[in-house]
Amino acid sequence: MPLTAESAAQQIQDRLKDIQQHIHKVDSERRRAESSIASLVRAQQSQTPNPKLKTLLQAKILEATQEEATIRAALAKIHEIRNIRNERRIQARNAGNKEAIRRGALMKMVQLSAQTLPLFVGKPGERAPALCGAIPAESNYVAKVGDNVAALAKGIDEEENWILAEVVQFLHRQNKYDVIDIDEEQKDRHVLSKRKVIPLPLMRANPETDGHALFPKDTVVMALYPQTTCFYKAIVHRLPQTATEEYEVLFEDSSYLNGYAEPLPVAQRYVIAYRPTKKGAGSGSGNLSSA
Amino acid sequence: MSGGPAITLKSQPIDGSNSNSGNAAGQQQQSGNNAAAASSSSSQGSGGTVPPAQEGTRQNSLQRIQQRKQKVFNLPEAQKLAKLSMYSACQAEGCRCTGWKTPQENRHRDVESSYCPELSEECRNASCRHPLRSHISHLTEISRTSMDDLLGAIIDMENLFMSMQRVEDEDTKKVYLYLFRLLRQCVLTRQQAVIRGPLGDPPFESPCISKAVLSLVFYKYNHLNPTELQTMTEVAKTFLNFLNHYNFESPSVRRSDATLTHEDASTYKINYTRWLVFCHVPAFCNSLRQFETSLVFGRTLLRTVFQYMSQQLKKKCISERDRFPEDKRSIITQMPKFLEALRAELLKDDSPIWDSSYRPPNSFVMQQRKRHQEVAPPATISSAGAASAPSSSKRSSVGEPAHKRAKKEPVERVPSENLDDLPTDVVLRAMKSVSESKTTNKAEILFPVNVSRDENVKAEEQKRAIEFHVVGNSLTKPVDKQTILWLLGLQLVFAHQLPEMPREYISQLVFDTKHKTLALIKENQPIGGICFRPFPTQGFTEIVFCAVTMAEQVKGYGTHLMNHLKDYSIQRGIKHLLTFADCDAIGYFKKQGFSKDIKLARPVYAGYIKEYDSATLMHCELHPSIVNTQFIAVIRNQSEILKELIAQRHNEVQKVRPGLTCFKEGLPSIPVESIPGLREIGWKPQMRPVRASRPLEESTDPEKLANSFQSVLQSVRQHATAWPFLRPVTAAEVPDYYDHIKYPMDLKTMGERLKKGYYQTRRLFMADMARIFSNCRFYNSPDTEYYRCANSLERYFQTKMRELGLWDK
Repeated sequence: MPLTAESAAQQIQDRLKDIQQHIHKVDSERRRAESSIASLVRAQQSQTPNPKLKTLLQAKILEATQEEATIRAALAKIHEIRNIRNERRIQARNAGNKEAIRRGALMKMVQLSAQTLPLFVGKPGERAPALCGAIPAESNYVAKVGDNVAALAKGIDEEENWILAEVVQFLHRQNKYDVIDIDEEQKDRHVLSKRKVIPLPLMRANPETDGHALFPKDTVVMALYPQTTCFYKAIVHRLPQTATEEYEVLFEDSSYLNGYAEPLPVAQRYVIAYRPTKKGAGSGSGNLSSA
Repeated sequence: MSGGPAITLKSQPIDGSNSNSGNAAGQQQQSGNNAAAASSSSSQGSGGTVPPAQEGTRQNSLQRIQQRKQKVFNLPEAQKLAKLSMYSACQAEGCRCTGWKTPQENRHRDVESSYCPELSEECRNASCRHPLRSHISHLTEISRTSMDDLLGAIIDMENLFMSMQRVEDEDTKKVYLYLFRLLRQCVLTRQQAVIRGPLGDPPFESPCISKAVLSLVFYKYNHLNPTELQTMTEVAKTFLNFLNHYNFESPSVRRSDATLTHEDASTYKINYTRWLVFCHVPAFCNSLRQFETSLVFGRTLLRTVFQYMSQQLKKKCISERDRFPEDKRSIITQMPKFLEALRAELLKDDSPIWDSSYRPPNSFVMQQRKRHQEVAPPATISSAGAASAPSSSKRSSVGEPAHKRAKKEPVERVPSENLDDLPTDVVLRAMKSVSESKTTNKAEILFPVNVSRDENVKAEEQKRAIEFHVVGNSLTKPVDKQTILWLLGLQLVFAHQLPEMPREYISQLVFDTKHKTLALIKENQPIGGICFRPFPTQGFTEIVFCAVTMAEQVKGYGTHLMNHLKDYSIQRGIKHLLTFADCDAIGYFKKQGFSKDIKLARPVYAGYIKEYDSATLMHCELHPSIVNTQFIAVIRNQSEILKELIAQRHNEVQKVRPGLTCFKEGLPSIPVESIPGLREIGWKPQMRPVRASRPLEESTDPEKLANSFQSVLQSVRQHATAWPFLRPVTAAEVPDYYDHIKYPMDLKTMGERLKKGYYQTRRLFMADMARIFSNCRFYNSPDTEYYRCANSLERYFQTKMRELGLWDK
């Protein structure tokens, strides 16, 4: 079904309305929960008999679950909006109306999509799934159409670089990805074998709850150099402390005396596990990480 | 001296009880009657400022004139007609008498009081002797208002005559006489008085003083807070009011000033005469159309009188200080500052406020107007000293004739708004709907808006997240630590971003005292900058290094940096930027308005600028009235407003036309004006300078024609996009080319054909050229370089042909 700009806008409007309702609902549920907690505390202090306390607790747990469900429903709506926008973008591109977008705006979009990447909020005890933060994809995972990936592609100068790209399709028979360079100025399509494509995280990890899903300090990683669309080798210098913070990484840079540039901020979405390439660049990596 | 002779006019008593005035000033016998008043005028002329005792004179005389007119208007009709008859030609056949003269026995009586001559009374004029009846027979039909108009003109004329008797200055006397005759003629022919002749028509200069002063307020004080800005606006208004009531010195008085050149003196004389005729005299003679001095005169006049006038205004400010209400005192205190600023702009040759294209934003103008309406009329210091607010109420209480006010209004509007311009409210409406549509833009839901390159940067600057500073080293003055730290940081930025440059060289220049660096500071760290060296004597600035640190690129900082440098240069009177750009930087400099086309003469910069091998010299000329940091936003706004205006117009017209078919029928082009509906929506053919018409029929001289073709061909060959077409395509290069292209053509073949004399007519030559392009576009797809080359070269070819008059249309 073709998704026109108008219908996409309409669908988004509908979801925004839903979200608004959810927000109101969350608000009233939260107020109810607060009073519930207060009554629970009172009940505990007044040494209510255990069975009664138990039923009270069960009721409150139910309420809390409802509240959680409402919040998750709102988040799901946000997710839907992302999908609609993505779908619309892909369709527009397939229809051939490529909008000329200036580099500055492109960079802004790259930044923005990292900032608005969904945050993983697990249930108690649930561990961060694959493609959340630093957790890699399963080996048989295939990135979906429209997902962003790092792709080892040859540029005009025949030099291989890890570039930021978008999946156009996965060619099952050849086990290859068809990807398109994010940077429209390059406008190159690349068909690359699966090992030359690394899916980017689909969710952010919350450092306060899922610290294990982040790269530890001094890990050698590949990170998107700020204001470019290329991934370069870097060392994790500082981890994000909150869900909205970014990593600070040290990029290799021979123009600096110690071989590394000043620490630069890179969003979780654009920090991925280092993968050595055949070329010499990768060979020394092991030593560096221990340095 | 404050308007020496001119003052006689205002102190002139027009007194209803003065019986002599009834006897037509034209009869010249009562000039001595106003001796007392005349003496008061001469005392005014001697003092710099008008003594308070006489401040009311101007208002008084205006009032007296009005009273007298009102009295005459209220006379019985017979008396009015008698008054008119004195200036009306005798209708008797063959009589050449131009006005009925009171018979000898009634000469002491006044038609403006009790005397009402019989229709049979005979004219005293010996050659006439016809009765009063024959002088007014043609006037009985005219309406009451036009009769009052005529009577008003007569009274003005009489006043003028008496003023003329008293004026000592010869130039002024001549002007009065001229106006007197003009009015006399108008009464005789019963026409509106229109001043024509070598003086020209107002406005005499553009922009007018009023507009320039408003521009000055915007230009100099727009950054102030609203209260201060309001004060400055009132100061400006006070100044304009003073100017409008200012009595200019007669040219003879100024002649004694030895500093004036002959040319200045004659210019002043012309302007002085204009002022008398269009501004000063009409203030008292409302049958002449009056213009405000500040609306019809411009820089030239103000320059000549400014020094003396501002002295007087300052003196007056001091003397009237205590009479000003408390809350208006700030006007007095700000006046010297304002006058100083105005003086500076008057002297500057390239001051933007005197540029006719300079215009404060509409929003500013409207704000000023709105304020003007909200606030009570600004306090005024008129040159006669009387505050205008009470006087205006006084005037209307006297019963100012309605037609005068009606006449005055359009006067004020004419010069301030360009005839071709849209009315301000239309533009404002468009601006409003543009800003509304911005907030309700639906497309944003789908995609982020593509904001302009520097918008985000400007927002950051506003929030003080980034700052711009010009810093430099010094050997003579102590340099603070912060500057040195920033310079060090900048040196590092340049070193990292410009790896080709030796580090020592960068340090040497960044810390050189003749070089300065415009630094972009974020979180107290320099993240980019432009190192430059101004050459004030040569009028240009050399850009030495320009870089933004890697991680902050593509955010618009480079653009904003350059715009700041441009504004900085303009403020220092530098109008050219030059740089040697390496190949990676050419793109950036092009975006910033630089060009490889150097418009500066080589001796201006050679030997000053540092020359680099394998770098391209680029040049950017700066326009002094453009604020570069605002430029993109202004242009964007303009284009949005324009789009909105087009949309509005589209809504108004709402008509779908069938579309043109003529092109299908084979016409290559049609004149724009023949497109149906274009004129209907207000399109006007552009006025083009008349070109020396060259006959489109080509020269019959084959040699001349061949020469023209040769020059066109030569230019086309040398064009940057000509390379694919220089030689025939060979099958070796493009194996399938000749499968598709049956009639190949190229520039080399054309050259040979030209030599052989094949191109006997223009058509043949054009056909071959067209073949080259059509072949190319046929064989190649539109996204190829070849295709683009064909398009661009074709345009170039057409331009060249047009230049030689070898192209239709």
